[in-house]
Amino acid sequence: MHRSVRLALLACVALVSLVSITQAQQQGPQAPNMTFFVTSNGPGKGADLGGLEGADAHCQKLAATVGAGGKTWHAYLSTNTNAAAPDKTVNARDRIGKGPWQNFKGEVVANNVDELHNAAMNKISATTGLTERGQRLPTFGFAPNYHDIMTGSQPDGRAFPGNMNLTCNNYASGQFGKVEVGHVDRTGLTDTDQAHSWNSSHQSRDCTQEGLQSTGGNGLFYCFAVQ
Amino acid sequence: MSTRSSILASAALLALIVGGPAHAQQAANMTFFVTSEGPGKGADLGGLAGADAHCQKLAESAGAGGKTWRAYLSSSTNAANPGATVNARDRIGKGPWQNAKGVVIATSVEDLHSDGNKITKESGLTEKGGIVNGVGDTPNMHDMLTGSGTDGRALPNNLNLTCNNWTSSQYGSAIVGHVDRRGNADTVFQHSWNSAHMSRGCTQADLIATGGNGLFYCFAAN
Repeated sequence: MHRSVRLALLACVALVSLVSITQAQQQGPQAPNMTFFVTSNGPGKGADLGGLEGADAHCQKLAATVGAGGKTWHAYLSTNTNAAAPDKTVNARDRIGKGPWQNFKGEVVANNVDELHNAAMNKISATTGLTERGQRLPTFGFAPNYHDIMTGSQPDGRAFPGNMNLTCNNYASGQFGKVEVGHVDRTGLTDTDQAHSWNSSHQSRDCTQEGLQSTGGNGLFYCFAVQ
Repeated sequence: MSTRSSILASAALLALIVGGPAHAQQAANMTFFVTSEGPGKGADLGGLAGADAHCQKLAESAGAGGKTWRAYLSSSTNAANPGATVNARDRIGKGPWQNAKGVVIATSVEDLHSDGNKITKESGLTEKGGIVNGVGDTPNMHDMLTGSGTDGRALPNNLNLTCNNWTSSQYGSAIVGHVDRRGNADTVFQHSWNSAHMSRGCTQADLIATGGNGLFYCFAAN
């Protein structure tokens, strides 16, 4: 009788410690000083991110999972030139703060907006373009390849002219349209400036999740801490 | 009674025959037109060569086959052929160009790409002298394939807005202009004859969906 009580007690203690270990594992790595990451996943509806607001919220949510939710996070995305109100056009480069920005491991990818948009100085690569969890992405040469990062931007980080819709209707379409993407690994099919571009390599096939995957992506995007 | 009828019919027929050559003579001086139809496979025109041949064929049918006809289309640099960039503006001769009715739509390449351009719904005629359906007509076919910027040049290499250099009838997109200079907004681009917006895709259905029908501009290069 005594013996069975003691056994039950032991079992309870074991169970409690197992639960706390599991919780610690689920909490995962923490990166409170991180100010730059690539989303480990997208919202899952292709390029429909719920607009810029939805994309920002996704950045914020992922940042919070690794203890970096105390900052204001913005997605690096431009919107279409707004015909009705041209001054409302949003350029990705204007919405990410001043830098410097560092990844999960504390590696600085750019010190300021100009450096970020200077191909020679920008340090984003397959090894530094880490997710919020500090993981490398499967990039060029891997199957699947997720190196296409949605930006909707020109190489200078600005919106495209008003005769082009390369933002999947300002990230509200998960069907028709195109979105401009960059290569996080700075590698593509050709040895050209655009294949090496982190933010403006080519347009997607369309705005569906399958369309994004078909050209080497998965609906991922860059997140920067504004402050 | 029946004799009079046949005389009338003969007169009508004669008028038709006389009218025919008169029109053909005008068209012989034509140096600009909008294709009355595309090859029918969306934006797959068989490349620039296929598009030029289509221009030539339609021009011939209108009695203007004696000139060298070129499609107003740009091509992108592509991975397989990096030197392949072609600017539409560089392939159409020097002008001036006139439509099937003898109306001059531009006097030079510079004029064509300036506010002096006189392409409108009324002047942007087909090789047959017909008006192309525009905004307000059903169906609207005002989207003209160009694959070009407003300056008539190819777009940067990070874009493929030529439906794979006019060989794709499925995936991709093409920049189009509005022959009637009208669109759904009062913006510079909507009024552009050569660079208004992107097509939804490269299929015939996609081209139709945004107000087109796979039509394009042809210019006599000499």
